[in-house]
Amino acid sequence: MAIMLSLQEVTKIYPGAEHIKAVDSLSFDLEEGEICTLVGPSGCGKTTAMKMINRLIPMTSGKILIDDQNISRMDTIELRRNIGYVIQNIGLFPNMTIAENIATIPKLKGWDHDRITEKVESLLEIVNLPAEEFMERYPKELSGGQQQRIGVARGMAADPPIMLMDEPFGAVDPINREHLQNEFLKIQEKVRKTIVFVTHDIDEAIKMGDKICLLKDGSLIQFDSPEKMLTEPANDFVRDFLGGDRTLKRLNLLQLKSAMRPDPPVIMQEESPEKAKTMLTELEAENLIVVDQERLLIGYVDRDALTKMADTVGKVTLSTEAFLPATSSLKDGLSEIFTHDELGYLIVVEEDKKVVGILKEEDIKNILRK
Amino acid sequence: METRVFYPFIKKIIPVVVTIIIVLWLYIAYGALEYSFNNLAEFFRLTLEHFFLVIVSMTAAVSIGVSLGTIITRKGFDRFGPAIMAMVNVWQSVPSLGVIALAYGFLPIIGLSGIGVIPGLIALFFHAVAPIVRNTYAGIQGVSEDVIEAATGMGMTQKQILFKIELSNALPVIMGGIRTATAIIVGTAPLAFLIGGGGLGFWIFTGIALMDMGIMMAGAVPVALIAMLFDYTLARLEKIIISKGIQAEEYQEV
Ligand SMILES: Nc1ncnc2c1ncn2[C@@H]1O[C@H](COP(=O)(O)OP(=O)(O)OP(=O)(O)O)[C@@H](O)[C@H]1O
Ligand SMILES: [Mg+2]
Repeated sequence: MAIMLSLQEVTKIYPGAEHIKAVDSLSFDLEEGEICTLVGPSGCGKTTAMKMINRLIPMTSGKILIDDQNISRMDTIELRRNIGYVIQNIGLFPNMTIAENIATIPKLKGWDHDRITEKVESLLEIVNLPAEEFMERYPKELSGGQQQRIGVARGMAADPPIMLMDEPFGAVDPINREHLQNEFLKIQEKVRKTIVFVTHDIDEAIKMGDKICLLKDGSLIQFDSPEKMLTEPANDFVRDFLGGDRTLKRLNLLQLKSAMRPDPPVIMQEESPEKAKTMLTELEAENLIVVDQERLLIGYVDRDALTKMADTVGKVTLSTEAFLPATSSLKDGLSEIFTHDELGYLIVVEEDKKVVGILKEEDIKNILRK
Repeated sequence: METRVFYPFIKKIIPVVVTIIIVLWLYIAYGALEYSFNNLAEFFRLTLEHFFLVIVSMTAAVSIGVSLGTIITRKGFDRFGPAIMAMVNVWQSVPSLGVIALAYGFLPIIGLSGIGVIPGLIALFFHAVAPIVRNTYAGIQGVSEDVIEAATGMGMTQKQILFKIELSNALPVIMGGIRTATAIIVGTAPLAFLIGGGGLGFWIFTGIALMDMGIMMAGAVPVALIAMLFDYTLARLEKIIISKGIQAEEYQEV
């Protein structure tokens, strides 16, 4: 993957505050399509670091490269138009409709009318706000969460390869926040932007980041993937910052497919109960997953069920709720194991309910111990 | 349902109708209508002069007031802000008659005539520019920091930010200043006659001097109607030029 954004020894000393370095020789590289969350205690230099990328704040020394080009040699306006910018307080233009807000930069870039309309409509669809209903509204006629989504849409309007987001969900209540985060990650799957995402919330940093950049007093303390940071914190500061429940946080991060046992034994519903009994004995198992021809989940059978008179397994199959998609988090998995414990394990399925694995409590323990 | 739509409308329209009826009654009862008819040519000349005074001084006050109010929000010029605000505030606080008198007394010092239309216009301009400067300044200052930061970060130029964001969003406040200024100018314009500025003030002061209510009303009533006309026109204009996204709720009914 190509490196999209590179900070090299970037330092900021504010005039009038010469004794402290707001950002102290910060270096990191970001690959195309990655989200990097800048996180750290208040005043550690997150906003400063981010705003040097679109030159809202001039850097004191160092170099920033975008796509191998030095930003200090670029025209400021041109640079900014190619970087999406989303701020905590959103800053929608109150005098413009939603459509006009989103169209601002495309218009300044001289896109033609049809292309702009098309773009506005597709962006509204991406952020889940029906175009016909919202285009002509004004910002004051939207809820805070809706405004935030428009802010994100506006930031993406001119198809910038890079986006800067300063606590974009900071002003939103926890429930909507979680919702916006999930939505944003879905959007990101489609658009694959390179994103610098400032937050002071470590949980958000872990959830949103492909990389986490942890700062303290302007200095980089650790730059790693969330998984790496959680398993191998560089020092006590990182450990403290991640919190005492650092191990449990990994549950949120990991997906079922990373911990599951793939290709569990199953039986097709057309088979005879005798075959099922034999399998149970051979596997020394309590029960058996029942599937159809396409390996889609039907239910399960246990010894009790098999004592009933029937010519196929399908006729005595019991239904179960103990399954989850492979992309669910381990946290959801763990919760599900406790809620639906009829099988003693969780069935892992794909979107169409195709059985791909099972997950036991001890699998979760094992992966966390790693 | 119906009363709810109707009531605010009635509430607005009744005072206007009542005022107009009273004014017209005064106009007719004191023989002002008859006087105007007998001096129709003069009536038109004075009305025209009056409009000229108001419109020219308004135009000057708006263009210079808005520019000045804008400039003192710009980086580098903002330190002149307080001084300029203090100055225009003083101009406004001088009573109307005083401004006229000052123009009369001051202009000759700098080598201009203190008598005529020009001193009248200058006096009106100085008297009315303050609310426009003040409101433009306050209006632009009032545009949220976040909005400006978003615009800057997105790559709008200073000029684009000024015209598309700052002035547009300050417009309701600026228009408020312009309405105040208009009220001041329309109210002061008759005084311009005192220094030879012409206008309907001629009949008003003549009427007073001759203690002839008819002549006075022949000047005063058109002046009142002109004031109402300007206020109404500006109110309509606001609805057209101010974005719906920032219009105060009260403007949105009807
Ligand atoms: N304009 C400025 N002039 C002087 N010092 C500044 C200025 N802006 C920020 N600082 C200082 O620089 C340091 C970093 O500030 P910055 O805003 O980048 O922190 P942050 O990590 O974004 O904090 P927060 O989480 O509170 O937003 C702080 O010590 C701050 O006081
Ligand atoms: Mg900050």
